[in-house]
Amino acid sequence: MKIYVCCKQVPDVAMTIQIKDGKFISEGMNYVLNAYDASCVEEALVLKEKYGAEVTLVLIGDEAGKEALRKGLAMGADNAFHISDPALNNLGSQAAAKVLQAFFKGRDFDFILTGKQAQDSDMGLAGGILSGLLNLPYVTNAVGLDVQDKMIVVKRQGDEGVEVLHMPMPSLITCSNDMNDPRIPSLKGIMASKKKPMEQVSLTDLGLSADEVLKESQKSSLKSFGLPPARKAGAKIEGDAQTLVATLMEKLTKEAKVL
Amino acid sequence: MQFLLSEDQKMIRDMAREFASDKIAPFAMSWDQNHEFPMETIRQMAELGLLGMTVSEEFEGAGLDTVSYALAVMEIAKGCSSVAVTMCVNHLVCSILQDYGSQQQKDRYLKDLASGREIGSFCLTEPQAGSDAQNQKTRATRTATGWVLQGKKAWITNGTYASVFVVTAVTSEDASGKKEISAFLVPRNAKGLILGKPEHKMGQCASNTIEVTLEGVELSEDAIIGGENGFKVMMNGLNSGRVGIASLCCGIAASAIREAVNYANERVAFGAPIANLQAIQFKIADMVTGLEASELLTLKAAWLKDSGKSYVESASMAKVFASEMVNRVTAEAVQIHGGNGYVREYLVEKLYRDARITTIYEGTSEIQRLVIGRGVLKKGFL
Ligand SMILES: Cc1cc2nc3c(=O)[nH]c(=O)nc-3n(C[C@H](O)[C@H](O)[C@H](O)COP(=O)(O)OP(=O)(O)OC[C@H]3O[C@@H](n4cnc5c(N)ncnc54)[C@H](O)[C@@H]3O)c2cc1C
Repeated sequence: MKIYVCCKQVPDVAMTIQIKDGKFISEGMNYVLNAYDASCVEEALVLKEKYGAEVTLVLIGDEAGKEALRKGLAMGADNAFHISDPALNNLGSQAAAKVLQAFFKGRDFDFILTGKQAQDSDMGLAGGILSGLLNLPYVTNAVGLDVQDKMIVVKRQGDEGVEVLHMPMPSLITCSNDMNDPRIPSLKGIMASKKKPMEQVSLTDLGLSADEVLKESQKSSLKSFGLPPARKAGAKIEGDAQTLVATLMEKLTKEAKVL
Repeated sequence: MQFLLSEDQKMIRDMAREFASDKIAPFAMSWDQNHEFPMETIRQMAELGLLGMTVSEEFEGAGLDTVSYALAVMEIAKGCSSVAVTMCVNHLVCSILQDYGSQQQKDRYLKDLASGREIGSFCLTEPQAGSDAQNQKTRATRTATGWVLQGKKAWITNGTYASVFVVTAVTSEDASGKKEISAFLVPRNAKGLILGKPEHKMGQCASNTIEVTLEGVELSEDAIIGGENGFKVMMNGLNSGRVGIASLCCGIAASAIREAVNYANERVAFGAPIANLQAIQFKIADMVTGLEASELLTLKAAWLKDSGKSYVESASMAKVFASEMVNRVTAEAVQIHGGNGYVREYLVEKLYRDARITTIYEGTSEIQRLVIGRGVLKKGFL
């Protein structure tokens, strides 16, 4: 089996996000492998251990993006492609999907995994758009994967419960981080990751021009960042049970007007 | 001059950080309160290769440098210093075996310890002989087939769980009372090796510390490690242990600072967060400055060792400075927490207790100063 995992490097959400004049301040931020993508890598590795597979990582990003790829390789992926070009900074979902479409052209694979969204923008679009561009069957929000009789068995978290879908190969599946607990790479894995192939891919290699990417990028673009407004402090009601209920009823009917 | 970690070192640090925050920190307070030795966690660390980091791959270690080891200990200690000290002591035993063990001893013991399938203990201290290690009374007497050991060792970390003990013992004493001391490898199943009950400690309660009694323990000829009077040589090896303890101190301090900063930003007094008070800002400033200085001393000592340069005094400087720093830093973290800092619900209470041992074990602060002072005075200072 050949499994591709599309990855993104994102700011570490455990850190405090700084925004100035509508811009995200990247200085001093740690960048990590998107948690949803880490779950994809983990699931691919579980399938590899069970049935044998080649797990390949693909990442669009600047030089620092290699760190996320090395993390995936250290976890146990076999090889990686680093798509990098000055024109590829701050890509929108549409443009990212376009670049990936060019990357997958002519490649042989059984399925593509992507995170169901990226932790930074939370758009959740790239996977869906890519499946459209590649004309692949597509399922979102997977919480479990298996392979049976040449079909991919996907457990999908739906609104009313877990759905089980059988998908043909090749397909594209976006994964939830509820799927598993991604392994922490061992020291052996970290040292071995240095020797695994990581291939550089430029826009020219993909047969794309900076203009084409820019045009795609403009289909959806980020205008500015802002922090959510601080929540107003709640009201604290005090007194015995009788007063509590009475005051609450009063507030719900007169102030909030929900009763 | 460059203060940059290599890509590998960064990855190793991040890996240890991830492990500590996912698999250690959430449980550390409960291990402490239940005095529970987290064997399962130690096993997981073994699988990741964290128990034999600097041992060569030939003996199932990770073959890494001391800087990487120091970074990993710092991160693990952020999660729980008890786990870090378990790791440090195992590492110490590994280092002794790697540096002084015969091929046979390495095959028999080092692979198990470096892979973390087993853990080791180091037994130097005795009830009457701590800093004054020369005053030890444990005797190793020659027999027709090897040695017999008689004596008592105190404060032995990992003892309950160790599969092998490096035990120092007096092999001869001249008329003037001058002793020759050697070290021996004592397997756990040796007859006459009696393991005491775990001590009830002030801090680092999730680490294991026991008394070990040797009652006529018979050992074969090849149980001696580093040769006769090999103890002196081995004491040099112990210096690298100080880099580990200094790293452990940095880890505790980093956690204490994180807790103190969060608390100061949240706690309101006189209508504003206490973080707005200059008195608190100055405390935080001193705390981070102390930590930064300790990290630099520690990584410098590790780097000197990796570069094959003399690092004995640097390791002692790192150990004495970092251990005294972490005692101040955790005390201030408690102070910033006010009354909350004094109760078990708050992590800083544990960190304060955990920090206390660090100026005592692996050579007290007083002994470190002797090492540093004597070294400098002997060589002169230009
Ligand atoms: C939790 C814990 C774990 C430990 N783990 C181990 C272990 O795994 N293996 C092991 O072998 N030991 C271990 N130890 C022992 C530890 O290393 C000793 O306690 C330490 O070396 C101090 O020895 P001591 O307790 O006998 O104190 P003493 O040596 O009696 O010292 C008492 C005081 O006198 C001071 N002092 C002594 N001599 C001098 C001097 N010449 N100049 C100035 N001041 C001096 C000391 O600094 C100290 O303040 C552990 C101890 C503890 C508490």
